[in-house]
Amino acid sequence: MSERGSSRSLDVVQRWFQAVVTHPDGVEGGVESEEAQRLIRLNRSELEAVIGRSRNLTAAERMGIYANAYYARLLECLASFFPVLQKALGEEVFEGFAFEYLQHYPSKSYTLDRLGESFARFLAETRPEPEEGEEPGAVGWPDFLIDLTVFEWNLNQVFDGPGVEGKPLLTAERLQSFPAERFAEARLVPVPCLRLLAFRFPVNAYYTAARHAGEGKEAPIPDPAPEYVALTRRDFVVRRFPLNAAQHALLEKILVGAPVGEAIAAAAEISGLDDEALGAELQAWFRLWVAEGFFQSID
Amino acid sequence: MPLPRLGYDNLGLGVGLRSTHFDYILKNQPEVDWFEVISENFIDSQGRPRYVLQQIAERYPVVMHGVSLSIGSTDPLDFEYLGKLKRLARETNAQWISDHLCWTGILGRNTHDLLPVPFTEATLRHVVERVRTLQDFLERPFVLENPSSYITFQDSTMDEWEFISRMAEEADCGLLLDVNNVYVSSFNHDMDPDQFIRSLPHERIVQFHLAGHANYTKYIIDTHDNHVVDPVWDLYRTAHQLTGGVSTLLEWDANIPPFPVVHAEVLKAKRFMGEHLEPAAAAPETEPAMAPGEGETVFHPLHQILAEVE
Repeated sequence: MSERGSSRSLDVVQRWFQAVVTHPDGVEGGVESEEAQRLIRLNRSELEAVIGRSRNLTAAERMGIYANAYYARLLECLASFFPVLQKALGEEVFEGFAFEYLQHYPSKSYTLDRLGESFARFLAETRPEPEEGEEPGAVGWPDFLIDLTVFEWNLNQVFDGPGVEGKPLLTAERLQSFPAERFAEARLVPVPCLRLLAFRFPVNAYYTAARHAGEGKEAPIPDPAPEYVALTRRDFVVRRFPLNAAQHALLEKILVGAPVGEAIAAAAEISGLDDEALGAELQAWFRLWVAEGFFQSID
Repeated sequence: MPLPRLGYDNLGLGVGLRSTHFDYILKNQPEVDWFEVISENFIDSQGRPRYVLQQIAERYPVVMHGVSLSIGSTDPLDFEYLGKLKRLARETNAQWISDHLCWTGILGRNTHDLLPVPFTEATLRHVVERVRTLQDFLERPFVLENPSSYITFQDSTMDEWEFISRMAEEADCGLLLDVNNVYVSSFNHDMDPDQFIRSLPHERIVQFHLAGHANYTKYIIDTHDNHVVDPVWDLYRTAHQLTGGVSTLLEWDANIPPFPVVHAEVLKAKRFMGEHLEPAAAAPETEPAMAPGEGETVFHPLHQILAEVE
């Protein structure tokens, strides 16, 4: 313990400490980094001028406890947000991506719950260029990873986001008793936990397969194919509903507040069904969606 | 002279609420004196965690324990975060709000670790001013905990216990004495844990924490992944005698056993509350020494709640 202390301000000490313990090359790389040197100029052998040693450990070893814990903790958290992505990539490759991500997008929130919010964006930003012979814009393996990341992140968001547990929902009786002549102009109010997702790979199906594959077993990586999914939450558990393109188009319109007629027209355009067949489909869709609590009310 | 515990209630022997125990607690309504919750796990929750907390707060006294206040940082206090704490405290009728004497990041970043401060006059002035500001804002009792630490700063001009004592007096706040952290930091910094505890203003101690740790022979990491070891119980006995007894809470954050095991661990504290304790009645655990890297558990100050997906 120093008798008089030094002239270093708390601000300088903290900026230096953070630069050292979060440096990707560990404490030695951190101490010698440009940022740390700008704040406290010392070489690695002089670390004990700032950090005391203990009977058992050098200053560098002690700083190493914080440096190791920083990445280990955050990597563990990211893995828990993206368990199926981790499984698809394998622990080592996942860790490599996550390690890079943490350097580009360090946490700036009081909560770890936002730690993974830019992971999909990071993967898209660092997506490798198409290989020789591949068409520009072709869908490939990196897009599968990006889609899966988006999917798992949305599961987390729906789980702890706004919901309707304990609140009244639109019932089949209410829908059936709604005046038919007003139906096209009516607006269905979706529950706040309803999310629509569109993917280039069937990541929802992959998610199911990966979860059923069991410990240590891998689900085969799927070929690209468009996939549409609705997520919602009931009784605090996230529910997944595969959709076809027409269902997705319809619900997408409803989610932005369009009248039911406009939403149905969007579905009709895609479905390729004649009016009678589409009418029958629509009845079945709405019956299912109402039963699954997709809507709060109809106005 | 302040009243013992600053006049706040002794809530008894409590357990840190963890999501792995949600179902058990709701179903069995165990006879636990009180629960401590990690504030950050609930302040934004609009799903099951918040719902479970509401049920628990109706039945049990609740205390809010945070890990992101960053009272020692030179970044400005985050009033959006503080506002959320205040709202949750009102909603759960939290008996008090606590956090750590530490900083978690600077320049807007959060390392999600409880980083140590240099114990200097300047740091003391800085922390005291911020504690006063947030106490005015929170309008609820506020207590600060001594964290486990793994380094010391050459700039420090006073011992940790002196810093804590002066901080508590000057800011007029309560203390959460983490007995395990005293043991861990004392081992890591070659200090006397008994002196640490004896040097504090005991009437300002509002709460105790107990937890297990990982001993790597040359250093100890505060992992909260095991039983409380005998030397920590010995310190607890001392702290209990010096304070006259305060709310005691067990934290278990990794390799979490079933709820009854965690609850039974904190109930062991009763054995250390008597004046004339027979040594044979002490907890049987001994210090589990491990090689560096062996059985490595990373301490998560912020316990995560995982999504439930059908």
